[in-house]
Amino acid sequence: MIREIETLSFFEWLPDGLVGWLFILLCVLIVGVVIGWLVAALRHGPITALRMVGRTLWTGVIDLAGTSPRRVLALSWLAVKESIRRRVLVAFGVFILILLFAGWFLDPASAHPGRLYLNFVLTATSYLVLLLALFLSAMSLPADFKNKTLHTVVTKPVRPGEIVLGRVFGFTAVGSVLLVVMGVVSYVFVIRGLSHTHQVSEADFEKGRTDRVQAHRHEISVDASGTARVEMAHGHWHDLTVEQSADKTVYRLGAPRGRPVARVPIYGTYLRFRDPQGKETEKGVNVGDEWMYRSFIRGGSLAAAVWTFEGITEENFPRDQFANGLPLEMTLEVFRTYKGKTDDPEQIPGVVGSLALGTTTDEIVRLEAEVKRVRRKRDRYGGTDPDKIKNLPEPDTLERARYQREVDRIRARLEELRAELPEPIDVKIFKAKDFATDVQYIPLQCDAKDGRKLDLFKDLAPNGRLEVWLRCLEPMQYYGVAQSDVYFRAKDASFAVNLAKGYVGIWLQMIVVIGIGVMFSTFLSGPIGILATVGAVIPKLFCPQLLAELATGQAVGGGPLESLYRLVTQENMVTELQPGLKTTVIEMLDDHVFVHGMRVAVAVLPEFGRFHFADYVAYGFDISGNLVLQCVLQTLAFMVPVFVAGYFFLKMREVAR
Amino acid sequence: MQTSNDVVIETRNLTKVYRDFWGRVKVRALKALDFEVKKGEIFGLLGPNGSGKTTTIKLLLGLLFPTSGQSLVFGRDATDVAKNERLGYLPEESYLYRFLNAEETLDFYGRLFDMPRAVRRQRTFELIEMVGLDWARRRQLKEYSKGMVRRIGLAQALINDPELILLDEPTTGLDPIGTREMKDLILKLRDEGKTVLMCSHLLADVQDVCDRIAILYQGELKELGRVEDLLKMRDLTEIRASGLNEQARQEITEVIERHQGKLNSMGHPTTTLEELFLKIIRESETHPGRRVRGTKES
Repeated sequence: MIREIETLSFFEWLPDGLVGWLFILLCVLIVGVVIGWLVAALRHGPITALRMVGRTLWTGVIDLAGTSPRRVLALSWLAVKESIRRRVLVAFGVFILILLFAGWFLDPASAHPGRLYLNFVLTATSYLVLLLALFLSAMSLPADFKNKTLHTVVTKPVRPGEIVLGRVFGFTAVGSVLLVVMGVVSYVFVIRGLSHTHQVSEADFEKGRTDRVQAHRHEISVDASGTARVEMAHGHWHDLTVEQSADKTVYRLGAPRGRPVARVPIYGTYLRFRDPQGKETEKGVNVGDEWMYRSFIRGGSLAAAVWTFEGITEENFPRDQFANGLPLEMTLEVFRTYKGKTDDPEQIPGVVGSLALGTTTDEIVRLEAEVKRVRRKRDRYGGTDPDKIKNLPEPDTLERARYQREVDRIRARLEELRAELPEPIDVKIFKAKDFATDVQYIPLQCDAKDGRKLDLFKDLAPNGRLEVWLRCLEPMQYYGVAQSDVYFRAKDASFAVNLAKGYVGIWLQMIVVIGIGVMFSTFLSGPIGILATVGAVIPKLFCPQLLAELATGQAVGGGPLESLYRLVTQENMVTELQPGLKTTVIEMLDDHVFVHGMRVAVAVLPEFGRFHFADYVAYGFDISGNLVLQCVLQTLAFMVPVFVAGYFFLKMREVAR
Repeated sequence: MQTSNDVVIETRNLTKVYRDFWGRVKVRALKALDFEVKKGEIFGLLGPNGSGKTTTIKLLLGLLFPTSGQSLVFGRDATDVAKNERLGYLPEESYLYRFLNAEETLDFYGRLFDMPRAVRRQRTFELIEMVGLDWARRRQLKEYSKGMVRRIGLAQALINDPELILLDEPTTGLDPIGTREMKDLILKLRDEGKTVLMCSHLLADVQDVCDRIAILYQGELKELGRVEDLLKMRDLTEIRASGLNEQARQEITEVIERHQGKLNSMGHPTTTLEELFLKIIRESETHPGRRVRGTKES
């Protein structure tokens, strides 16, 4: 599964997130106050405007203190009743209808039927619930304004904030109930859709295989004790029971096991590379991909990708359960400069590679965490892409250089410390194929170069920390790797719970949509509110990278002012502007003013895509509690400014226009 | 800003100008309105369509913001939410949630006053009975007739037992019996010490119940005073006598005494409010911007 952004540990994430949030909140507040003052000043003069703004802010505090849970609940209850009146349950009917027809298009014989089914139900639920949330939240208040029903509400001691909260809570309650029901139906749909069994006749048993169902069959193996076992195929296996009767033997296979699954991976905490000469580098080779998610190591050289793992302990991997070794799952990209016989993909041979284990120290791990932290700060300014770095505004270039020096300093120290460590010990030779998840079992015992027997837990990872070295052994071939491509599979979590977490992601997205929808509906008409909400949600969902580049001035064509100038003058995006006063002023304003504004504007938009957990569920990875917690806190944090904005918009407008 | 404890509503130079999107003046709905409503009186706002009655009420409720001037309710600015604790409002067309039934409606508005459940139930029961909708308490409001909606609208305005009640066209949509009941109720509320501000097109209703009235025309205050004073015809003398034949007006008392007649009353006759209203409107049209009569408030 692709994980372009690493999930930080909670306490690593919290301080930066909190500071960033407070900064954005402050910026939004200042911008709001200034705009409010300007508007009031135009109509009432600057002094009166100042007094009015001050009074509005003070009233806001008083209103917040006077917020009554009973009133909020009453307004929530009203929103629920209104949703039901608006035939919200039709959405559930549509969902059931979609599921009924889905059977025509979902092919359980596909290579990954579980992925197909899960992606489908999660996507269908997500679109339906989000659309519902969008329409309910953006249309409700404008309808109340139009029908004037709000007149009888605001003439009661109801604070504007209570109206906003009541709407948000009410629609969230409706959406939550729908999501729970859809979740249960989806679970049943997936389990039933994937359910199948195979027939095994005596003749089949002799051939050592089952019959073919859903485009696959399983091999049957019999061990030394005579016990028959159904082998894994299509990501699952079946329990086999053999019943002997007087004249024949009956073989029965149970329900599929091992899918859907929720793996709990132990990812590497740090990934580093060695170039073909064996020198430490931050990244591997680029084989020409525009997408720089994976970095490549050259085969038949000293190039290597090295992961540092933590938590490699007997507690996580009890010896009795992992007697065959620790399962290391790898999804490597194989880049071939020659392919051999390619007419049949099944016949393309795998590319040989090796795995080695190395030790590490606490100090090295600490410094690795430090270098990652500084790199994250540096990567805000263009990452490692030379084109983006070239386009950086001048202050950012200086900032980037400062962080780069810090990174280089820590890496130099790391090299010194690593030089004192013993060489890694080769433990596996394997063949890697493209687009396949390969499982290699790391033995609990291995031989050192001097012939000593080494224990994995006691000798190689005494502190639970272990280095895994990956090398490609075939010259002219390459392995492409990313940090999440290699992980230890310690255990599996409950699929049902993981599916529920997937629905929590949709739930959070729904809350964000409701929040934005209600906020816009306090001052916009229904259709315009819908457009505005979609406009606020779509950018970070579909093009977060572009937004980030725009906000940091890395996008081709320059900052906002330069882009506008190019648009007006129809100048090419990639040509340099003519040097001169005009260009200097444009670049200066972009670099020192507009880029900062863009940063705040982009930061205000919700991290909508981050809540999309469907891939985790579909690819069978457990959604960590840490990620869920971070997303919940992000949602709550986002809802605070949304609530404040909704409060002031409603407070400042005339209800009876 | 200090106001007397007796003054429940006060407007000072209250002006409202409606503007379009570009800030251009569309309508001057209210021009420098000054009036006070005292505790325990029934005050009527009168005027033709577009005279600024409803705008005044909306400004008093904080539903609109004044362009200039100020409106105070219970000594607080009209935009202060806290004042709403003590007032009830019946809008022109009972803007209620049609998907709720009578009980749910009153319970909902009761909850907006933060009333405990037991109190809400008690008030809901009393008010539904008072407005005579006991038999339809579980029916959704969308099934109600206009008169029934008006009644439940009145009930929601009284859910918090308010000190001040603002009624916008309270008898609209009511049948004659309902109208009579509404007027009786308004008088009863006054007797209970509550203050009522109402606006109406139905002059007979205003004349029947109001203690004082203000007549607005094109956003300007044209007349303000006690109803009986305003309707008094000061240029006429009316003598009511019985057992008399027609005599000259001069020395009427002596004549009555000389003829052993009994003088029942003597004073100025009153016109109807309708006649007064039409006269003010006609004069305002003839002389725009001029206050029609200089009647002092009594």
